Amino acid sequence: MSRFLLGRLIQSAILLVVVSVIGYVILGLIPGGPLSQFGLDPGLTAADIERLKEQMGLNQPLWMRYLDWAWKLLHGDWGVSLRDGTPVLTVIARHLVATLLLMGSSTVIAVAAGTWIGIRSATRRYSAFDYAATVGAMVALSIPTFWFGLVGIYVFSLKLGWLPAGNMYTIGDASVLDYLHHLILPSLVLSLVHIAVWSRYMRTAMLDAINQDFVKTARAKGVAERRILMKHVVGNALLPMITLAGVQLPSILTGALVTETVFTWPGMGRLFYDSLGYSDYPVVMGILMFSAIVVILGNLIADVVVALVDPRIRLA
Amino acid sequence: MTDHDHTTHLLSRRAALRLGLAGGIAGLGLPHLLGKPAFAQGATAKEAAKKAPAGRVVVGITQEPTVFNPLMLKIEVDDGVHFSLFDALFRIGPDGVITPNLAAEVPTQKNGGISEDGLNWRVRLRDGVRWHDGRPFTAEDVKYTLELITKPNFRAWRTAGHSLLRDITVVSPTEITWRMEKPFSPYLSFLTETFIVPKHVLETAADPNTADFNKAPIGTGAFKWGKRTAGDNLELVANRDYHGEGPYIETLVFKYIPDLTVFYTQFKSGDIDLTGQTYITPDNYKEAKTLPNKVVTLVPRQTIETIYFNLEKPQFKELAVRQALYAAVDKGAIIDALYYGVPSVTESYMPRSSFYFNDKLPKQTFDVKAARKLLDEAGWKPGKDGIRVKDGVRLSFNNTTTSGDHLREQVQQFLKQSWADIGVEMNIANQPAAVLWGDFWAKSQFDTVIAGVTYMVASDPDVTNRFHSSSIGAKGGRGSNTAQYANPEVDALLAKGTGTFDPEERRKIYTRVQEIVRHDLPFMPIFQYTVPLGHKSSVKGFVPNPNTRTESWNAAGWSRVG
Amino acid sequence: MTALAAPMTPTRWWQGRAVRRFMSHRLALVGAIMIALLALACIVGPSLLAYDMLQIDLRARFAPPLTGAHILGTDPLGRDVAARLLMAGRISLMVGVLAMVLSTIAGTLVGVVAGYRGGWVGAVLMRTVDGFLAFPPIFLVLALAALLKPTPAMIVVIIALTKWMEVARIVEAEVRSLKEREFVHASRMLGLSSAHIMFREILPNAMGPIIVAASLTVARAILLEAYISFLGYGIQPPLPSWGNMLNGAQQYLASAPWLAIIPGAAITIAVTSFNFIGDGLRDALDVRGELK
Repeated sequence: MSRFLLGRLIQSAILLVVVSVIGYVILGLIPGGPLSQFGLDPGLTAADIERLKEQMGLNQPLWMRYLDWAWKLLHGDWGVSLRDGTPVLTVIARHLVATLLLMGSSTVIAVAAGTWIGIRSATRRYSAFDYAATVGAMVALSIPTFWFGLVGIYVFSLKLGWLPAGNMYTIGDASVLDYLHHLILPSLVLSLVHIAVWSRYMRTAMLDAINQDFVKTARAKGVAERRILMKHVVGNALLPMITLAGVQLPSILTGALVTETVFTWPGMGRLFYDSLGYSDYPVVMGILMFSAIVVILGNLIADVVVALVDPRIRLA
Repeated sequence: MTDHDHTTHLLSRRAALRLGLAGGIAGLGLPHLLGKPAFAQGATAKEAAKKAPAGRVVVGITQEPTVFNPLMLKIEVDDGVHFSLFDALFRIGPDGVITPNLAAEVPTQKNGGISEDGLNWRVRLRDGVRWHDGRPFTAEDVKYTLELITKPNFRAWRTAGHSLLRDITVVSPTEITWRMEKPFSPYLSFLTETFIVPKHVLETAADPNTADFNKAPIGTGAFKWGKRTAGDNLELVANRDYHGEGPYIETLVFKYIPDLTVFYTQFKSGDIDLTGQTYITPDNYKEAKTLPNKVVTLVPRQTIETIYFNLEKPQFKELAVRQALYAAVDKGAIIDALYYGVPSVTESYMPRSSFYFNDKLPKQTFDVKAARKLLDEAGWKPGKDGIRVKDGVRLSFNNTTTSGDHLREQVQQFLKQSWADIGVEMNIANQPAAVLWGDFWAKSQFDTVIAGVTYMVASDPDVTNRFHSSSIGAKGGRGSNTAQYANPEVDALLAKGTGTFDPEERRKIYTRVQEIVRHDLPFMPIFQYTVPLGHKSSVKGFVPNPNTRTESWNAAGWSRVG
Repeated sequence: MTALAAPMTPTRWWQGRAVRRFMSHRLALVGAIMIALLALACIVGPSLLAYDMLQIDLRARFAPPLTGAHILGTDPLGRDVAARLLMAGRISLMVGVLAMVLSTIAGTLVGVVAGYRGGWVGAVLMRTVDGFLAFPPIFLVLALAALLKPTPAMIVVIIALTKWMEVARIVEAEVRSLKEREFVHASRMLGLSSAHIMFREILPNAMGPIIVAASLTVARAILLEAYISFLGYGIQPPLPSWGNMLNGAQQYLASAPWLAIIPGAAITIAVTSFNFIGDGLRDALDVRGELK
């Protein structure tokens, strides 16, 4: 096990280097750069722009900038934002809270709704509910998230006026209720896809569990059907779900990115989109490395948990 | 236009206030316009104004302010914050008149503040001004500020003008002098956008680029630093010891709402009190006007919507081609239909509100026949595919603007159809802002670009940066002459203009420059931006000012009623 | 599909077990029919409509659907939404399918080589795959769109660049298990070239999962195209795509909601159909895999 872990960790480290190179090169090749936003400033001359490029080290060759950045990163220095000079980790930490709030609430919704739908579908296999859930999940997976967000804003904010169209709270009213009020629409939109995914997994896992011997044994022993269901089947079905959470992390992150841009939610996705627009290289690279680490760790943990739960899987 | 009346009243009151203060007269009984209780007998106007600032104004903006050292590289939204936190030596009003701010008077050649040759400047400063930390403001701060801007390692914003300064001398705590390398009349205007920073705070920082000050600035302005929630909002609080008029509100909040639809919804719902920077979109103007308890006014900006030619491209070398393309543009349709009649048609790069605006420029008329005739006569004959050709050059080009700017995309598609009508092919090739406004724009790598361009710094008419032949970035020049426009007469006039201080003399010069530029068409002027700005009717004292880059330049004068 | 059809009795492809199972999968059938109808409408439709998708008529701006001559209303330039929707369908479906083809070919090549060769070649290839997978896809797409000129062909390339990894992973796993089978050993003993073994012996046996992945890739490619065009980085006007029809629609959400609803609905229908087909194919081809 420890050998397996070591191997995977080394691989992950190499992976991070690959990610950083790909990311840095793509970013560096995009023409323009962080000074473009001043291209129309009436008083800032071309000479000023050249001076600033020099001062900010932007006219060094790409590989030198990469090595400089990577060397500092190895020493724990993630650099500072080109926009406001704040350390990148601070910038990420500030926005992470908002994203975690959004991801957390939508995961709660997705797990609750998905589990319920999955159980019901599995126990009433081939019922009208099961079919509706299948079709519904397919459709939910096919709706463009950003568009669903727009429709949500149109219906609930513009037409009905029930929910705010964006931002995280009302200025001057930072009560919990106010936060929740702002949270409803974006987290519902974000959870849609995950309800679909989660309910399908849950259904499959339930069906697998129902056919296990111990369930049959329990049934033969005359244990109440409901008790079998809750204790044996659901319990066993939920186990592999733990790993799903790890696997789902990156896709929730991506979903959050799209949702945040539609709802002007001040999270990582919004930050990423803005920073890319400003060519704020240190922040963009920071987010990239951060999410790569999360994704890689997520996968690693998922693999380990699977291995621990299911001894049949050989770690190699 | 109640708002207009308000402006004049407020201004006259401000002027009167200054007069009173300058003369050292106490107990001046000024009429109070802002619905506040009358002053107690014997109290000075200044003290009375300080009485308990109350309420809050939330300004909605679509970009996030991130730069709080006002001398560093910054964008418009940062300016909005700087005007509240800091003071400059001078301020410029909506009418273009420059008034003293931290200075005690505006130096002119008449009052001896500027020498006859324009080289020696003397500025007297206001006494008794204190920084937010209680330390007194002196001429040393001004000297430090002006020197910091041109420090080699400092990531300064604009250095034009500042780099001409020599021998900055502190004569007394309230007087400073300097010499200029050459006479440069626009410098007075530049100083209205140069905020003074505290020497005693920044001096102690190892590197002013990364000083703590940059994250929690200390100024002399009407508001002090409150707290920042990155990615969402920034809160400033009233400076009760402000040396000037106001503030009347306790908190000033800048709220960042990047999406225009969400922005407008929040204005409608009352989450934001005032729309700053980016405005209500033209399509919402009609509805916005009818909203209860909201005041929505059309405010001219200095920005001109233009279609730039790259004059070095073989298609555009000939004036006849540019004239023909211009004649085939239905400006009326663009303004009335696509922009809902909100902006105003123009022929000049100079904003209409400017003292230097030339209103006698020939009007463009939409005339497809004339356009075709121009091209026929110039020898551009339609080829097999219907696109005109001359000497092997096809009259086909790309047009670029910011990706995702749907209003401009509509204009582009409309133009494409209009120009196809006269045998010209235009292809849309948009780019993300971060790409477009980099070298692609600065080094003239485009064919044509739709851009909203501001030509003025504060209200100064100098356009050397945009039209002088030495300013062509693509040819190693130091400015932003991206059309690669070169006209010896314009060059000579521009040089003369920066050396002239008398406004009447300068008016003659720049009137002629506008005439020549209109004739040469280095770009097609489409319209001057006029934007709907809105605020709740309970916010009083809002005065738009086209000579600044921000709507919150006078937040000190805002108040809340009800 | 040679592996699935019984080798001794020559059957026509439509008599095969897979086809029968696909046909019995009701949702898959619905999906296939919908795609066929959609494709037909996009190919034939524009010529049946009275309006050209590019014809600008500012007097007819913002006509709501079903009220006048324009069935689905008009856009901010007075162009017929129906005509644009169908032309956009051509672009969007084409981009989706071509991106699928390109990413499937690239992914299959990488997967087959990595799986068959193994060793350091396999490791380098698969770690590159992991490297690409570790990016949030949106990042790759936005950065690449800023880097490359947004012509439809480039959009196809950009989407393919962000989608090939999944196919590569599936194929690699499949090939790795297949290469230990007897028929591969036999081929090797016969002295057949590696290329022959990889592409003529192993690949046909791995077609099932590839086909399933391909159908799901079309769905995701259409979604991705919609998103980047929505942001303005994708297909450039005046050429319509379902995504760029939505760009700007957000602005007019309150006054002209149909501009947002109609193209979005078209995307949803198309993507759902491809997902139905993918699901059906999975059952038909006996591919074990999870719904993603």
